[in-house]
Amino acid sequence: MPADVANYPIHSQLLSNGMRVLVSPDKSVPIVAVNLWYDVGSRDERAGEHGWAHLFEHLMFSGSAHVASGEHLQLLQSLGGSVNATTWFDRTNYFDTVPVGALDLALWLEADRLGTLADHLSTEAVDTQRDVVKEEKRQRYDNVPYGDVMPALVALVFGADHPYGHTTIGSMADLDAATPASAADFFRTHYRPDNAVLTLVGDINVRDGFRRAERAFGHLPGRNRRRRPAPKTLPPLTGLPRHTLSGKVPAEVSYLAWRLPARDTASFDAADLALAVLGAGQTSRLHQRLVKERRLVASTAAQALPLIGGNSIGLLQLRALPLRAVSDGIEATLEQVAKLAAEGPTEAELARAKAQFTREWLTDLSRFDARADLISTYAMLHDDPARVNRRLDEASQITADQVQAATAELLAPEARAQLDYHVEDDNATS
Amino acid sequence: MRRPEHRPEVGAPARWRFGEPDRLWLDNGLQVLVCHRPGQHVASVCLSVDIPLNAEPEQFEGVATIAQRCLDEGTAAHPGPSFAEALEDIGASLDGSVGYSASQLFLDVPMPRLGEALALLAEAVRTPELEAVEIERHCELRLAEIDHTLASSTRSAQLAFRKACLPKRFRASRMAAGSPESVAAITAAAVRRFHAQQYRPDATTLIITGDLGSGVLAAVEDAFADWSVPGDTSQEHQAPNRRRPHRWLIDRPGAVQADIRLGVFGIDRTDPRWADAQVAAHVVGGAFLSRLNRVLREERGFTYGVHLVNQPMRSGGLLAVQGSFRTEVVAEAVTLAAKLIDVRTNPITEAEVAEAVSYHLGSAPLRYSTAQGVTQHLAALVAAGLTAQFIDAHNLALAQVTATSATDALTELLPPDRLTLVAVGDAGALRGPLTDAGWPATEHRL
Repeated sequence: MPADVANYPIHSQLLSNGMRVLVSPDKSVPIVAVNLWYDVGSRDERAGEHGWAHLFEHLMFSGSAHVASGEHLQLLQSLGGSVNATTWFDRTNYFDTVPVGALDLALWLEADRLGTLADHLSTEAVDTQRDVVKEEKRQRYDNVPYGDVMPALVALVFGADHPYGHTTIGSMADLDAATPASAADFFRTHYRPDNAVLTLVGDINVRDGFRRAERAFGHLPGRNRRRRPAPKTLPPLTGLPRHTLSGKVPAEVSYLAWRLPARDTASFDAADLALAVLGAGQTSRLHQRLVKERRLVASTAAQALPLIGGNSIGLLQLRALPLRAVSDGIEATLEQVAKLAAEGPTEAELARAKAQFTREWLTDLSRFDARADLISTYAMLHDDPARVNRRLDEASQITADQVQAATAELLAPEARAQLDYHVEDDNATS
Repeated sequence: MRRPEHRPEVGAPARWRFGEPDRLWLDNGLQVLVCHRPGQHVASVCLSVDIPLNAEPEQFEGVATIAQRCLDEGTAAHPGPSFAEALEDIGASLDGSVGYSASQLFLDVPMPRLGEALALLAEAVRTPELEAVEIERHCELRLAEIDHTLASSTRSAQLAFRKACLPKRFRASRMAAGSPESVAAITAAAVRRFHAQQYRPDATTLIITGDLGSGVLAAVEDAFADWSVPGDTSQEHQAPNRRRPHRWLIDRPGAVQADIRLGVFGIDRTDPRWADAQVAAHVVGGAFLSRLNRVLREERGFTYGVHLVNQPMRSGGLLAVQGSFRTEVVAEAVTLAAKLIDVRTNPITEAEVAEAVSYHLGSAPLRYSTAQGVTQHLAALVAAGLTAQFIDAHNLALAQVTATSATDALTELLPPDRLTLVAVGDAGALRGPLTDAGWPATEHRL
């Protein structure tokens, strides 16, 4: 695929209050994706505040000076818009994908809550959304087999005190400690024009897009952009940190995790491709050797979790067959990792992994909302939104030697952490 | 200059119609739907074979699923893993789904490799190896998958509700991919026989969406024109009807929440009340501030989200309140939900209808904005035995919905004394409160 296929126009402006605005016109469908990133995620939560960034994301929908609780969603949804927000380690993002005629309304709603939310927080709103978030935690983590894996994994890889050492859902106790005053304080610290990126993708002209953004957000006061201290990069793990969980799950699962470099560096990309060769898709080495040929495990999976603050996470997952242990699979997996480190990938394997990356990347870019989110990603985390158009090139340049080196240096068996999930005996008392 | 408190006006929605596919047939009966979507660099393809699951021999239920899962484990021209390699080499991905009325393969591939991908897709459905060792392996994996399904509260609830709403004689009352007993019985011969009988060009529709060039039809012909299978397809689709109401508790000891389904066997897209039902479902349980979500989530904080979902099948459907509630409030939540879906005393208003219709019409351009969105929606229509014309026809029908017609439809569809209830949670903790609240339920094992 020629790289110029995915060459999306991206125009950038800085409002006087420090808000960065990106506009990328695409007239193919009469809709506009409004995407707003705030540079605040779970990594910004201090001890005792775990889960606050996500709880406060919920409060963003509970009303502001000129908008009633739930009205933001209700108004845009009734026009056919799709509205949502998510919280992650590195950011909180808000989406409003709306018919073009509703663009001004969407921007106004976002500006109203950015400008006035901190002064309009009620105890009632905090109490209700706290209950909703607790239900979300029960539904998505506590009542789901293996639901407690991610919190345990990040603590194992980074240590509980590290900014990435806890996940976005947080703890029930910390959620209980949140008050309207602490929420207001959090909003005033993090929700500011100078701590935000606004991206518009869709059926608009560039100048018009900037004008509408300025009109909606320009009156909000900015301050100097908070500078994050340069994040420390942790060295590879040592001493094989291990943890065991057990629960009423259908099969044993083991997770092998490594510290990778920060996202979208050449060595991260090389490790990402190494994980793909090992564990992504039907042709991957682990699937072929462990699942098909030796029938040691039911499934294997590989993933690189990209993060900006010094380190990312690399992950291999092995799920046992019913009533079977996963341990033989781990040994065989580590052999495969060592083999890749010793010999590197074949040219065919590397080309295949890149071809898969290309399709996934182009698929992401095909949706207005996902394209807007990627533009915001590269604007905020990398200060380079146009990199969206260069990512395919960057990935295509990674060589087999780089993949081999990344496997040897970053995915060494002795540099892993290991989380084993055991099947709890039905008759055991807990 | 606009003051910050001044709420902007909303511009009129742009005129939008679904860009209908070109529709044609190869001489062997294969239907082709081609949707040109400029700017969509990843083509999205669905190969949909009209296979009613009641065509599966009863002792081998799940054979359709196993047959489909083995299609990409090697073909005559690309034996063993070389088939998956050929697909992945060109950046393609291939997924499958087996529903009660169609077995569908979904293929995504960057536009320049579409021709090669279609040739591989044709190989998979026409000349799969179906090696005994792969069939046996996929049966083993399916058995493991059943354990995972039953371990999931949500999927158990879905399964139990289906079983509770449909009489046993209908295939759709049971798991599409088969039960532990039937999957264990599946043989290589059964899989090969099923594939030979059911995968046929005259039962197949090929949907292709993307930034397509003029060569796409030639590529389709190259891959599929000489596909012929003797005999004909004769298996009729079943038209299920409703079972008497049941109230079931599925025990998950120690669960912190219960997954609830409260509803009925409902209607499909061909029912004259479909548009009314869609509008009513949005008002009562579709919108963020729907009647259900406003009370149970935003006012009471009982749940992360609760919906009234219209899930159409080819014939009939499932219409149910779906939500997960913390154990302590389940009885109260069910009682409140039953009250909220009873629109006789609190009819749907014209304003609510207007919002729901505006939502459905306004969200269409977004729904169909990507190649995958177009292909997936068309695939759902094809599986239901409908054409792309349904999309515009449904939009016209939506515009005719009134407060009275929506209220009447929901009143008819959800009679309060005929509701089936499924609760998947800690039976010991739920039984008493549910009984006290007027919802006595019997324990049921899946």
